[in-house]
Parts: sequence; structure tokens; C-alpha cells
Amino acid sequence: MRVLKITPEKCTGCLRCELACSYVQTGTFQPAKSVIRVSPFEGHTSYAPYTCTQCAEGWCMTACPVGAITINAAGAKDVLDDLCVGCKLCTIACPYGTMFYDPDTGKAFKCNLCEGDPACAHACPTAAITYEDVATVDWLGDFAAERTSRLLAGVS
Amino acid sequence: MPRRHLVVGGGTAGMNAMRTIREEEAERSEITLVSAEKPYSRMVLPYYLDRSIAESHVFTATAAVLAEWGVKTQLGRRAAKLDTVAHVCTLDDGTALEYDDCLIATGSSAVKAPVPGADLPGVHSFWTLDQCRALIADTKPGSHVVMVGAGFIAFTILNSILALGATLTIVEIAPRILPRMIDATGAQLVEGWLRQHGVTIRTDAKLTAIEKAKGRKRLRFATGGDLVCDVVIMATGIRTNLDWLKNSGIRINQGILVDDHLRSTVANVYAAGDVAEGPERVSGSAVVHAIEPTAQEHGRVAGANMAGKDVRYRGSLLMNIVEVCHLDVASFGAWDDPKAEAVTGLKADRPAYRKLLWTGDRLTGAIILGPSSDIWTTNDVGMLKGLVQAQMPLGRFKEYLWSNPFDIKPAYIASKTTARLLHETVLGRPAKAPGTTPVAV
Repeated sequence: MRVLKITPEKCTGCLRCELACSYVQTGTFQPAKSVIRVSPFEGHTSYAPYTCTQCAEGWCMTACPVGAITINAAGAKDVLDDLCVGCKLCTIACPYGTMFYDPDTGKAFKCNLCEGDPACAHACPTAAITYEDVATVDWLGDFAAERTSRLLAGVS
Repeated sequence: MPRRHLVVGGGTAGMNAMRTIREEEAERSEITLVSAEKPYSRMVLPYYLDRSIAESHVFTATAAVLAEWGVKTQLGRRAAKLDTVAHVCTLDDGTALEYDDCLIATGSSAVKAPVPGADLPGVHSFWTLDQCRALIADTKPGSHVVMVGAGFIAFTILNSILALGATLTIVEIAPRILPRMIDATGAQLVEGWLRQHGVTIRTDAKLTAIEKAKGRKRLRFATGGDLVCDVVIMATGIRTNLDWLKNSGIRINQGILVDDHLRSTVANVYAAGDVAEGPERVSGSAVVHAIEPTAQEHGRVAGANMAGKDVRYRGSLLMNIVEVCHLDVASFGAWDDPKAEAVTGLKADRPAYRKLLWTGDRLTGAIILGPSSDIWTTNDVGMLKGLVQAQMPLGRFKEYLWSNPFDIKPAYIASKTTARLLHETVLGRPAKAPGTTPVAV
């Protein structure tokens, strides 16, 4: 399946992905409601976007007590709003921290790959986010591990 | 391969087991479900209580879906006896069902505090759909509701009671609320928050009797004044439904002892969910985790093994979340381990609290608490779960988190937790979507 491939070295921290995501997902330009989140590293000297891996287990999906999370045509785990009651069980079952809850709607929400046409990948001006048929890996781990000197400053 | 599967209990564990049997089996088998109630999810009853969903929303399988799965049903019946030598389960109406293997998933029942008057009309439990219906019928705008017990179950319906326009008083025998979900600091914070939101809380309150009082109820306590109210909810605990297994030969401790394949001490009898005492994820020791995610995982692993697969369960992880008046409260793993090293973070200006518990450089438990409006602007809730689940050796990041318990994300990412988690699945293969009808073979 096609997945969001993240190349963190290319990210400039412009946050266009967050604006595009929140607009397409919730109708508002509001990074707090984006399901792709850009994090700063090394005191804002570099940045990387982080989002759902569409993992094989689908911890959110198997945890849902009413079957409100399914797999859409793009292969993404997707919340069915009319079935979600907002119990938040998916948010504690997801071990990646990519299941969110919208207090305004009372529903869980997550990356659904915009059903096969992800807005974040379109909006990214530097191809740090691309939509490709590749195996999902830990896109950010090595990048972040190389950028820990400020994080670990003061730690023995 | 077993040809005749018997599933006793139609809750989360039983439903997941049946679905997984159909997903995994190589040859079509016979499945019989014995369930006292039509299958529904207790997790979502609070949302039916405040009418944010219709009653039909709570059911997890209609008769049509069960027929589609090829499940024979004995609904409205309870298992009364299990003969593990003859492989026969006898129901409460005398029906005898033969099986090749059997899953015990009979769950728990609510228990009322043993005081005079506990059985009066208007003194409710909140556990089953019938009990939910009765509470809906009794609770009106302006009703004064007294909740006896301040545990997790009580807190799951707190918002619903307030949403119905009722006034709420919580009485708790212990000195603090949520004793089995968060620590004393967190509990104090939640208590203060609830008081600000108009909920009355009385701790150290030992209920001694409930009496009729001119159409209302009078609650008497060992110390302190009486309370008069319209509705009483006894959220005073649950007890696993195991009595019917006396003399079955199955070894029962706190629950039915099961191995890492969810097998009991009788080879062709499995147990799952609240009734099972199985491996815990981090320590490996046998525990009862009477929570929804454990019932779901137990059910799926038991179902796969009943279908002839060889699936080892990695163990259950304790996790709970509850939201009260837009304050989120969650805990994971060994959050109350007295032997663990613990670091806490408490914000002075808002109700935000963290506790991280460590064994060596691994996170073995966590508590997270904060306003719903800002807790979800971070990824921290799930990342804490991931760190506990993966048992990541965090090395120097431990010290970072020790000084920065509110900054989980950089440590999570830089320690490459994602890489460790990506390959893990419960059944050793990708999970299927819930709406997918298992292929009939």
C-alpha cells in the first residue's frame, strides 16, 4: 500500500502540512487539530513531521468496543464518526500517540490518508512528506537520535 | 482440529474469540454461543445513559450477524455446570451441550455494598444494559443522585449523570477517590476539580443503611450526617462470574489460571477476559485485568488457538482512561508499584499532573492527567502507553524525562520506540477491519 514516507532531513518546519491537514480533516486552519505534527529538534534547528504509521495491528481499531474504526479504501485505519461514541479507549491503546480526541465534536480522530490523497504530502514544498508504495519504517528515529545533544545537555 | 467450539459469554472476550475462530480456522467448525444477554458493549452504556446514542448502538452483534458468522445461539441462558471429563456444559434450563473445546468468558457482575436497604427499589447498580435502562427511568433533571463508591466504574458515568441535569454526591469508604486507578496526588487534583464543577464528595464515609424516606432514600453512615436523595447508585465493585465452575476441576485462583495460550489447567478449556488470570505484559506474572482491552486481546488469542493456530500471548497491560468534566485521567502498567523509582510533575497553574515509574531505564508505569482541551494537543497519552508496552531501554533519555516529565515526544522518537513497535501484532498478522465478515470456509 501507499504510505506517508517522511524524509525528515528535508523538513523546513514551515507547518504547511499541519494547516493543510487540519483544513481537510476538520475544516479549520488549526494545527492543534492536525493529525500530522511537526516537532522541533535541537532547539528549533531542525524539524520533522510525525504521524500515524497505519500499523499492522491497528491497536486503535482492535480496541474500539463498537467497531467504529475500520480500514478505508486507501488501507488507512479510519474513524467512522457516526459509530464513535468518544470513549477514548483507542487513544490509550495506540502506542504511537497518533490517536486524537476532538473535544468540540466528542469524537476520536486520526490520519486516514485523506482516503488516498493526503493533503500533507500535497502541501509539503520540499518533499519531506511523500505518498509512496514503500514499507513503513521508523522514519524519524535515526534523525532524532542524531539530534539529541541539546536534549541531553545537563544529563550525565 | 476441534469441530465443536462452545463459547460461554457474549461480551467483548467471547465476541472477539468467535470472530477470530472464523478468521483463522482452516475448516468450517461449529460454534455455539451461550449468553445470558444479547451481545452488547458495556463500555458504551454511559453514552446511552445520557442519550447521546440510541439503545441500538450498544449491540455488538445482531442476530443477523451471528447467523452470518454461523453461530448457534443459546441467548437468555446461563451455563450452570461444566463437566470437563465428559466435555458437556449444562445450562440453567437443563440443556446439555457437548463440546470439543470451550471458552469461558462469563465476565463479572456488579456487587452492592452489603447494607440493609441495598435491595430497595431506586437503589441501582450500573453494569448491565437492564441496569442502565432502570437508571435512565429513575433519573430526572433535578434528581439528587448519590453514588456509593468512587472507583473507575462510578467515574465512567459521572458526566452522564450531570448531563441528565441531576445533582451528584459521591460517597467513598476509602480516604480518597479512584484508589485503584491513580495515586493520592492525582486523586486530590481530581477531587478539587470535581468540587469546582459542583460535585459533592464525601470520603471516609462508611454507609451503614439505606432507608425509605417519603418516596426518597435516606442514607445513614457510621460517622457524619445522613443524606437524603432520589436515586442511589452502588458502584461498589464487581465480582467475577465463576461460581458455576465449582467442582469442574479447573484451577481457579483470583481467576481461572491460564497459560500464555489462554488455556486453563484443563487442556481443551480456555478462559478470557475478567474471569481469566493470565500473564501480565511487563512482569510476566499471572494477573486478573478486568478491563476492555484485555478482554479483547484474550478473546482474539484464545480464538486463534481454538482454531488450531499456535499464538502466544505477550501478556496484558493495565490501562484505564476516564474523563470527568473535561479533565482526562489515565494510567498505564504498574502505576502503583512501590518498588519502582518514580518522578512526578505537577503544574502550579492548571490541573496537569504526570507520574512516570521506572525499573532501571525502562518505563513500567505512568499516570497522566490534564484538561481534555490541551491533553490532546500532545501525543503524550499514546506515547506513554508505547513506552510501557515496548519496554524500551531509555538509557540517558530516562534522565531527560526525569527532569522533563511533560516532554515525552523527543525521548520517545529519539529512542526509536516506533521501530520496536512496528512489527508487533497480537495474532502474528495484520488485524482485520471489524466490518469485514470472516470468510466462510
